[in-house]
Amino acid sequence: MDPNLARTYDYEVIKKFSIAAVIYAVVGFLVGVILALELTFPGLNADIPYITFGRLRPLHTSAVIFAFGGSVLFATSYYVVQRTCKARLFSDFLSNLTFWGWNLVVVLVVITYPLGITQGKEYAEPIWPIDLLITVVWVAYFINFVGTLAKRKEPHIYVANWFYLAFIITVAMLHIVNNLAVPVSLTDSYPVFAGVQDAMIQWWYGHNAVGFFLTAAFLGLMYYFVPKQAERPVYSYRLSIVHFWALSFMYIWAGPHHLHYTALPDWASTLGATFSIMLLLPSWGGMINGIMTLSGAWHKLRTDPILRFFIVSLSFYGMSTFEGPMMSIKSVNALSHYTDWTIGHVHSGALGWVAMVSFGALYHMMPKLWGVTLYSTRLVNLHFWLATIGVVIYIVAMWISGVMQGLMWRAYDTFGNLNYSFAETVAAMHPYYLIRSIGGIVFLVGALVMVYNLVMTVRGGAKQTPATAA
Amino acid sequence: MADKKEVETTGHQWDDDEGFPLKEYNNPLPKWWLYTFWATIIWSFGYWVLYPTWPLVDSFTKGTLGWSMHGEYNKEMDAARAHQKPFNDKLEKLSLKEISQDNQLLQYAISGGKALFGDNCAPCHGSGGVGVKAGGFPTLADDDWLFGGDLETIHETISNGRVGQMPAHLKSAGGNFTDAQVNDLTAYVLSLSGKSQDATAAVRGDALFHGEAACNACHGDKGKGSLKDTVNGQPPPPVGAPNLSDAIWLYGGDPKVVRESIATGRTGLMPAWAKGSKDTGRQLDPLAIKQLTIYVHSLGGGQ
Repeated sequence: MDPNLARTYDYEVIKKFSIAAVIYAVVGFLVGVILALELTFPGLNADIPYITFGRLRPLHTSAVIFAFGGSVLFATSYYVVQRTCKARLFSDFLSNLTFWGWNLVVVLVVITYPLGITQGKEYAEPIWPIDLLITVVWVAYFINFVGTLAKRKEPHIYVANWFYLAFIITVAMLHIVNNLAVPVSLTDSYPVFAGVQDAMIQWWYGHNAVGFFLTAAFLGLMYYFVPKQAERPVYSYRLSIVHFWALSFMYIWAGPHHLHYTALPDWASTLGATFSIMLLLPSWGGMINGIMTLSGAWHKLRTDPILRFFIVSLSFYGMSTFEGPMMSIKSVNALSHYTDWTIGHVHSGALGWVAMVSFGALYHMMPKLWGVTLYSTRLVNLHFWLATIGVVIYIVAMWISGVMQGLMWRAYDTFGNLNYSFAETVAAMHPYYLIRSIGGIVFLVGALVMVYNLVMTVRGGAKQTPATAA
Repeated sequence: MADKKEVETTGHQWDDDEGFPLKEYNNPLPKWWLYTFWATIIWSFGYWVLYPTWPLVDSFTKGTLGWSMHGEYNKEMDAARAHQKPFNDKLEKLSLKEISQDNQLLQYAISGGKALFGDNCAPCHGSGGVGVKAGGFPTLADDDWLFGGDLETIHETISNGRVGQMPAHLKSAGGNFTDAQVNDLTAYVLSLSGKSQDATAAVRGDALFHGEAACNACHGDKGKGSLKDTVNGQPPPPVGAPNLSDAIWLYGGDPKVVRESIATGRTGLMPAWAKGSKDTGRQLDPLAIKQLTIYVHSLGGGQ
């Protein structure tokens, strides 16, 4: 490539975010494994309040979604927007502000959560001062991204950027509305919404965090890295437009399906369920576009484990975006809600889709950032298999455990009395918790293989002859 | 094929300095995709007609099926109540003994009692009433009772609760005896079930047990407990003092644990569960208590 052009891009901030992403991946997965083991063997928390399940759980979710996922998105969006616009990021100051600001948020979260200082909203646990900091960082991100788009040297805006921009705008809106609160001290505040309205706002936020943070944004990532790695044009521009707008329009309605059979009014519940069903095909549009982009390049899967990460991530994406609408149907939800099935569903999306597509992107991008070649393709392949096997073990265990749990809860004898006490259902889940922990450990080991591979890559590039695929 | 597709690209190109440039084909929407998408939309419209969906100014569209969450819940609960009513009516009228003699009613009460036990009693007494030694929660599945294992007594225990008070004996814990004396008592108590390792200490303990410490006042002259022993020919007071001679232990039979029981004492508390009883946190209605009584009685040790 033209070295002068490369120098006009700001790769430094992307490098920093990539390293952060790799570190946070390991931390997030490790905390996940600890939690899985605590559920299997409750004595493991040793009665130390800071590491009890209730305090570590939000740390795990925030570490994987916002620290790992967030860093991947900052890194890839800055990479993609610069390269597809042929323009340097709008402002070096804003780039640095987003990096240091976002990491300050992560540090504050790591300190406050184990101390039990949170506002108790799922996936939005940070207390109000941290929320304000997030807002500042996010506005800087928005200006930086849009500013870069504005000074682009290409006539058209590439599809990946639409998705990134939709993600940035929607997350800003979700974050601000869900965290509206009246502070009463440095650590405490009262939300402006109460009761079922608060619950509805919370899940409007929670579901669209999944929709725009973990889906739309990572689709943006996919739209750049899959065609780039496969060396094939994107399958259908038309499909990308239709599914982008359909996805953006429909996702925002789907939140109430998290609150079926609660104090939420019937009409809101139904509305959420139907929009979730209508969301299925718009979600699949991204999968089709990704997978069909590979048509004509299928043979590359035999030699390119990075491409394997992409294709398997798209498969998991397709599976969990099918499972989600099914689970939003009230009669299915009556069985699945509050059970491990939900945990399995989330992880087939989070590990299978988000993490796998991120791994692929990091393997593609990091050698280019440092101007080196990847240290070992074999290790990528090893990571691929560990990650895939880990996810499969995890979700199968949770499916079985979840469906069993749901069936046990609703099992009645001939007299109409409950067959099982709650404690008995917990005891029945024990073996699956152990299997789930094993799946998580395998996935974590895969991530450690990635860390080694990327460290060696960054340190000196290829030290071996072109790898043969295993 | 590839050539044909090449014609269909949008003509736009990005990121073409290095590697394969980003391009886009403009393939039509896959037909199955488009038709399925329309199908979900049509399905949704149908669903909106049938079920409550759209908010209006001060109401919402009710749907033609007349379905509601609460309606569904009430329907299921009404059906369940109707199913149980004949059983409950009989259960209310009949005595515990009469219930236990009617096989179908017995099965019904055990079924209900089991569900109630799982949610209310199992946290302390364990699933199936196997007991939890570390906390001194008695096993309910054997015939070693503290206050009695007949239907009426179990009913009383559940309704109004029980307190089992073993006083502390060691001076430093507020008792009247020295370390050595507590050791002697321990040796004697262990000898009752053939576990003592120090016969001479047990002899000294024997004297204390029946003398200065007056353990026999509650545990009986032979240490067989409130229910099975006598004190000077009279039954001991019904205070739930355990049988010390049967190798069944409430807190554990390890010498250290037995010594601890004697030295610092024990307090066992069974809360009262009946609605209106002194313990207002637990409010089981008479029907529930009856079912629980029958269930606990059925666990293996009912008398």
